[in-house]
Amino acid sequence: MEERELFERYKQTGDVALRNQIVEKYLYIAAVIAKKFVGRGVEYDDLYQVAALALIKGVDRYDVDKGIKFSTFITPTVTGEIKNYFRDRSRLVHLPRKVAELRTAIKKATEELTRETGRTPTARELAARLHVSEEEIVQSAEAGTTVSLDRPMEEGEGSFYDVLATGAESDFEKFENRDAMRDALSTLSEAERTLVRLRFGEELSQVETAKRMNVSQMYISRLERKVLLKLKETMQGGTAQ
Amino acid sequence: MKGLLSMRIPLGSELMTTVRLTTGGVCALKGLDIDASEDCKVCVTESLLLLRHAGYGEAAVDFSDDDGLMVAIEGAGRRKKASPAPEDEISAALLEALAESVRMEKKEGAIFSVSFRFAL
Repeated sequence: MEERELFERYKQTGDVALRNQIVEKYLYIAAVIAKKFVGRGVEYDDLYQVAALALIKGVDRYDVDKGIKFSTFITPTVTGEIKNYFRDRSRLVHLPRKVAELRTAIKKATEELTRETGRTPTARELAARLHVSEEEIVQSAEAGTTVSLDRPMEEGEGSFYDVLATGAESDFEKFENRDAMRDALSTLSEAERTLVRLRFGEELSQVETAKRMNVSQMYISRLERKVLLKLKETMQGGTAQ
Repeated sequence: MKGLLSMRIPLGSELMTTVRLTTGGVCALKGLDIDASEDCKVCVTESLLLLRHAGYGEAAVDFSDDDGLMVAIEGAGRRKKASPAPEDEISAALLEALAESVRMEKKEGAIFSVSFRFAL
């Protein structure tokens, strides 16, 4: 079946089997694009998965009547999703290299000791095998665990979020920070100020901001990085003075 | 527009890493962030692949300063018969998705030059 016919039939029927046929036909695009982003600290399989999901979503959004080929339509979509994935990942807290290495060693030693003894090893056994302290074993095991801020601490004792330090500023600091921010904002262009207002004032997503400003999400992503860097530099300059 | 670096390279696979490393160096010189540098490397590689599929054996790559980094890549040397690949379309769309001010010029139906820009 030709590209156009395939999409038209899917649009008319919404048949999942047809959608799957389309996805399988174009899955190579996800593979090709994922390969282009290898070497940036994310495994190919993860990139391929992100790309494949973007492809599936893209099939529903593609409008065959707009006259552009599906491969041309889907490439920016898949690229955008991969870049979002990189951006989201970069926001995660990275473990110190030593801890990350120890975690890998613990995993390997756990498998070895389990094979040897027929049971899961204790922290003491792992510490002895890896020539580190028990404390280091326990800390490393904890280090990789993501904990929700909303997770209750103990029965009826509120959440982690409730006990986080607020970083309370004195009135003078608040005044000084506001003043520095106002100065820094005045160095921005009209478009940059609009971005700050929409993204950090109205708290819109990048996609929503892009729609409001009538530009691409990619453009917003770049502009945001530029603006944040500019503000940081201006404010650091102000502090240095 | 101020010229930063120009080079003429054979379009062999063995030199792609060299080109990527050079591109990374120029991006660092211009102060592009890591993400933009990686995107720029992808764009340069894709442009070279497009030119190779258009039949060119060499390419002239120019990096210049244009309120960011401007890259212009042109097919050079003797041109053989074009051998378009199905992936060319994806390469072109990828360029459009990653860079700004992308321009692709064609000669006799095949891509002859590609230029694009990365803002600071």
